[in-house]
Amino acid sequence: MLHTKNKKLVLLIFIIFLTVSIVLIGCTSQSVEKSEADASTENSHMITFSWPRDVGEMNPHAYNPSQMFAQSMVYEPLVSYEEGGELKPHLAESWEVSDDGKEYVFNLRQGVKFSDGSNFNAEIVKKNFDTILDNGDRHSWLGFIPLIDQTEVVDEYTFKFTLNEPYYPTIQELANVRPVRFLGEAGFPEDGDTSEGVEQPIGTGPWVLEEHKVDQYATFKRNEDYWGEHPSVEQIKVKVIPDAETRVLAFEKGELDVIFGEGVINIDAFNQLKSTGSYETSISEPVATRILVMNTNKETLSDIKVRQALHYAFNKQEIVESVTSNLEEKADTILSTNFPYTSNVEATTIDYDVNKAEQLLDDAGWKMPEGKDIREKDGKPLEIELMYNSAESIQKIMAEALQSEWAKIGVKLNIDGVELPTQVDRFNNNEFEMNFYSTSGAPYDPHYFINIVATEGFGFREAISSYPNKDELLSQIATVQQTTDENERQELYTSILGSLQEQGAIVPISYIRQIAIYQKDVSNFSFPANRDAHPFTGIHIGE
Amino acid sequence: MGTYIVKRMLTIVPIFLIATLITFGMIHLSPVDPAEAYLAAANIQPTAEMLAQKRQEFGLDQPLLVQYVNSVIQISKFDFGVSYVTNKPVWEEVSSRLPATIELTLASLVIAIVVSIPLGFLAGVRKNKEIDHFSRFLSYFGASIPSFWFGYLLIFFFSVKLDLFPVEGIGTWKHLVLPAITLALPLIALYTRLLRASVLENLQEPYVLFARTRGIHEKSIMGKHVLRSAISPMITGLGMNLGKLMTGAIIVEAVFSWPGFGRYFIEAIFNRDVPVIQCYVLLAAGLFLISNLIVDIIQMYIDPRISREGRQFQ
Repeated sequence: MLHTKNKKLVLLIFIIFLTVSIVLIGCTSQSVEKSEADASTENSHMITFSWPRDVGEMNPHAYNPSQMFAQSMVYEPLVSYEEGGELKPHLAESWEVSDDGKEYVFNLRQGVKFSDGSNFNAEIVKKNFDTILDNGDRHSWLGFIPLIDQTEVVDEYTFKFTLNEPYYPTIQELANVRPVRFLGEAGFPEDGDTSEGVEQPIGTGPWVLEEHKVDQYATFKRNEDYWGEHPSVEQIKVKVIPDAETRVLAFEKGELDVIFGEGVINIDAFNQLKSTGSYETSISEPVATRILVMNTNKETLSDIKVRQALHYAFNKQEIVESVTSNLEEKADTILSTNFPYTSNVEATTIDYDVNKAEQLLDDAGWKMPEGKDIREKDGKPLEIELMYNSAESIQKIMAEALQSEWAKIGVKLNIDGVELPTQVDRFNNNEFEMNFYSTSGAPYDPHYFINIVATEGFGFREAISSYPNKDELLSQIATVQQTTDENERQELYTSILGSLQEQGAIVPISYIRQIAIYQKDVSNFSFPANRDAHPFTGIHIGE
Repeated sequence: MGTYIVKRMLTIVPIFLIATLITFGMIHLSPVDPAEAYLAAANIQPTAEMLAQKRQEFGLDQPLLVQYVNSVIQISKFDFGVSYVTNKPVWEEVSSRLPATIELTLASLVIAIVVSIPLGFLAGVRKNKEIDHFSRFLSYFGASIPSFWFGYLLIFFFSVKLDLFPVEGIGTWKHLVLPAITLALPLIALYTRLLRASVLENLQEPYVLFARTRGIHEKSIMGKHVLRSAISPMITGLGMNLGKLMTGAIIVEAVFSWPGFGRYFIEAIFNRDVPVIQCYVLLAAGLFLISNLIVDIIQMYIDPRISREGRQFQ
């Protein structure tokens, strides 16, 4: 009796498993044909690319989880940020700023169509601006958004907005990938508020979203009605590959044509692929700066001599070279000279000099006691803590390198790896001694960086609080954004950036650059000047 | 039998409450503010107003107790709230990704069972023969190799070098093979060892000797008696490991770009997407509880001694 019962049960379990497996195989075999069809379209007119995260909801006015490179493929700005920080006409053919720096009038490009065929004109520009301004709180990190007083359609192709006070970086901020880019009429939800999502991703850009499978891939096809130069590639497929090693393996197997970005694969993998000679590689111009921030609020670091000593004992050239394998470039100034207003900053470059470092520490009263290897002052050892993002291997290795470097001059560096949100949180709340930081880079700097320095609650203002010229600096930073005179602005920047660095709390380490590796049949690859934008302008594949 | 199941179901309620409390506590013990994490992930230097606005949006400005009670009430209605990151209902996000994870875990479970039952049984029966050595090696290998590493090795050899399978993605059965094997390996190691030990133990039992003296055919002793009673601990192990499979899928999904729930969970952790984390933990807890219950019921069928226990004096 029991026997048959048991047998039945075993049989039942077996049957369940079998059915489930058959159902699963059934589910998947339907898609077999489709993916084979997919494979056959992987012809010479398609570029396959990968990104760590899904492209997101493709809303031009929203942040997470939309990915910027994808937003920039579909949506376009009034002004574009080009090589060397030059701001060039894009959807606006030209613009005028009134003498008081408050009125901005844009002459829009005519004959531009959205991908659904509708017209790009001043009406739709205003509609986009209005929904962005309705959710102004979300965008208040951008300086000009909270200052906008009025938006106005002057005529079909002329758009105007008025600011409450002059703010020179307005034009530069218009070049950002988000939020001021333009969605077509049909993309708006009924109530016109895009903060909760868009109906369809309709833009004026060179690419149109064709298919999107969340967490798997997104394909973009060429916009055949694009107003500008048409891409030579017909399709771009973006596969979602979260893992860097897997990305490398997929590239080696030929499942990817291009790898592009910052930190998308590890440095060793990049060098290994490069050394095979089977692929093309390239490195961009500096897009941002990696810096070391010393908190002058902490007793030890409030002494400029200690800060300088640490800087002198920092063999930047060698550390940057060995840690980043030359993917990054040693930085002597806080912002690289391919940013606006940065070309003639005067700051003493500090070259590696251990003797000088030791001298400075001696002068500051930190002496090396007999038989010990850590300096002391009034019986207190010279110990400093450096916080780093544990997920970023460059920060980690640099922290370790600094630890051994500074041990040579009798400084004990304690390194503390934390998660990114913790790092941001502690930095903002001034709960750190030293921290790594990366500037926002192109197209945000220089105004965005100095603005962060001057704003309370972002860490910098507190960190530089023992600068003797702090008040002057802060007032200069407040003035520069309201300047209407180009020469005055340049002078102010030269002075601000110079003295920020001279006081030694903000130590430039290296310039961050983007990398790209691509298969041999890909040609004409160029990096976007705007760090957040897509790199597909002009790209070509095949003969 | 019926009362037993009802009793077991009732114990699920307090365990569920404890699970919600622990998750909630853990998330809020973390020094990171989800509002800040959200903005950091978007690459924005948030102003104080932006943070305050986000906190209010997420309901983080309320007292902890209120937040906890609210979330328990919500969950008891099977409403897991709205994801902080995507602004969509968590259940919608999760249920769209669950099928991929279920497909992967079921496939590995099938592989694990199909491989480990014959292997473990034969290893036990033919102790110290080749098959036994092989099974011991496999158990050792499977238990000690980290699954992400094993995954890379599989990709490297079978995909990049031999070009038999795609590196990543989902779609055809070919996409499923490597991730399913990767996920199944530690289970194979475990079950093979478990079954082998249990077979060896059973071989020492008097009933085997008795059966032999009765002149029952050796094959029949092994197949009908030893295997059946030896398999019982393995079934317990299966139940306990269903939940483990789901959590093990996190790594495998990341390595093979499998668009499942585990990968989504990792992202949620980095973004401090609290509702998603909570949903995941509760689902995992639920899965552990339910699979254990099912296993107990199966055990009762296979080994009637369990359900008879305590009833013999009635």
